[in-house]
Amino acid sequence: MSSEFEISRSITIGQYVPTGSFIHRLDPRIKLLVFVILVVAIAFNTSYFGNAIGLVLSLYLFWASKIPISYGLSGVKPAIPFIVILAVLQLLFQGQLFSDGRVYVDYGFVLITSESIRLVVVSAVRFIEIIFLSSVLTLSTSTTELTHSIQSLLSPLKKIKFPVHEISLITTIAIRFVPTFAIEMEKMMKAQASRGADFGTGGWWRIVQRTKEMFPIIIPLFNIALSRAEDLILAMESRCYTPGGERSSYSVYKAIAKDYLVLLVGLFFSLLLLFYPFPF
Amino acid sequence: MKKSLTVRDIVIAGVLGAVAILLGVTRLGYIPVPTAAGNATIMHIPAIIGGIMQGPVVGLIVGAIFGISSFLNATVPLFKDPLVAILPRLFIGVVSWLIYVGLRRKNEYLAVGAAAFIGTLTNTVLVLTMAVVRHYLTAGVAWTVGITNGIPEAIVGTIVTLAVVLAWKQIGKTQKSKISKDL
Repeated sequence: MSSEFEISRSITIGQYVPTGSFIHRLDPRIKLLVFVILVVAIAFNTSYFGNAIGLVLSLYLFWASKIPISYGLSGVKPAIPFIVILAVLQLLFQGQLFSDGRVYVDYGFVLITSESIRLVVVSAVRFIEIIFLSSVLTLSTSTTELTHSIQSLLSPLKKIKFPVHEISLITTIAIRFVPTFAIEMEKMMKAQASRGADFGTGGWWRIVQRTKEMFPIIIPLFNIALSRAEDLILAMESRCYTPGGERSSYSVYKAIAKDYLVLLVGLFFSLLLLFYPFPF
Repeated sequence: MKKSLTVRDIVIAGVLGAVAILLGVTRLGYIPVPTAAGNATIMHIPAIIGGIMQGPVVGLIVGAIFGISSFLNATVPLFKDPLVAILPRLFIGVVSWLIYVGLRRKNEYLAVGAAAFIGTLTNTVLVLTMAVVRHYLTAGVAWTVGITNGIPEAIVGTIVTLAVVLAWKQIGKTQKSKISKDL
């Protein structure tokens, strides 16, 4: 009964599966860097062969991090209907844009060519690859490690007055407050429901009603967020927090040989995906 | 323009970022609409509010947090592409701030409302443009989605932003911290 109000439980952000594998013990900065370059490379690759390599690579990473593959599949499962609908739309309507290649069907406005089939297959596979890669990253790295490594990776930008420390503090605050606000929201929904408000009982076609149901939750949520912000500002200022001050860090990362090796391998795969002219 | 971020900028950006992430992961930020895209979104509202309250830099940062979280949580292939999920979102807060500053002299309410409306349209238009450029949607589908999703999104966005910002202006009068502005 109460399940529809249990928001804080369904939040999987910062979910971390400790298996102590090779991937878990990597320097988080290297992990993040390799993740970013691989995602960029995959996003730009349009060949079957290149995406097959990407898929095998992301499956290998799952295996190497000893995380059950079901975690990755649970990310893919809710997306299957969208993938299918998108594939059908692309197949039917995108042929005109990709009219080169061999033509299979040419009926009215429907034009199916080898190029449009390639588009459909590649964008579906690309999506699965990116889900797997981002699951490996977030499941094998704690959020603290991630924010520290963002700060450390961006630190060269300090030279051009880019507020690196501030950005990483913002990220930390954001991640820290998500569960807090989830609990607040739960309280609010229960309070409103006990006064007779109903959430999600109207049919999906009653858009206006469904939207109106949101207002008593969303607007107080923002107000709570902003008044919490006031408290935090006061607390930080009374402890003399100065933005842009020089600070040292509690945990210092040190990349060793195997980290650089992983970086080289990641770089090799991204350059391969980006620039190698795959035959098909 | 301010020289660097103040404590107030940092905390408000963080808190609004948290709201953006929360709306995404709880699916509360999606309003079901019977169109091809499936859902209208209200998750861009924190970015607009950040832009109006604390200026373009905070708007940009909150937009980036929204973009990255929607990229990581996406269940639609469209938003698993960083060029569609992250890049357009950077502009929401900046555009809202520009509109707000431009109209503030005339009428506060009008400025907030217009900033929210145009900020939402920025999100819709840029995301759909990127989707067409990256070949996820055809121009025709994008137009339909733009009209059927964009208009309700803009209206809801305006209502929520007006309510929140005007309430905050009241809170702002009794701000606890007196030194934020001097730092």
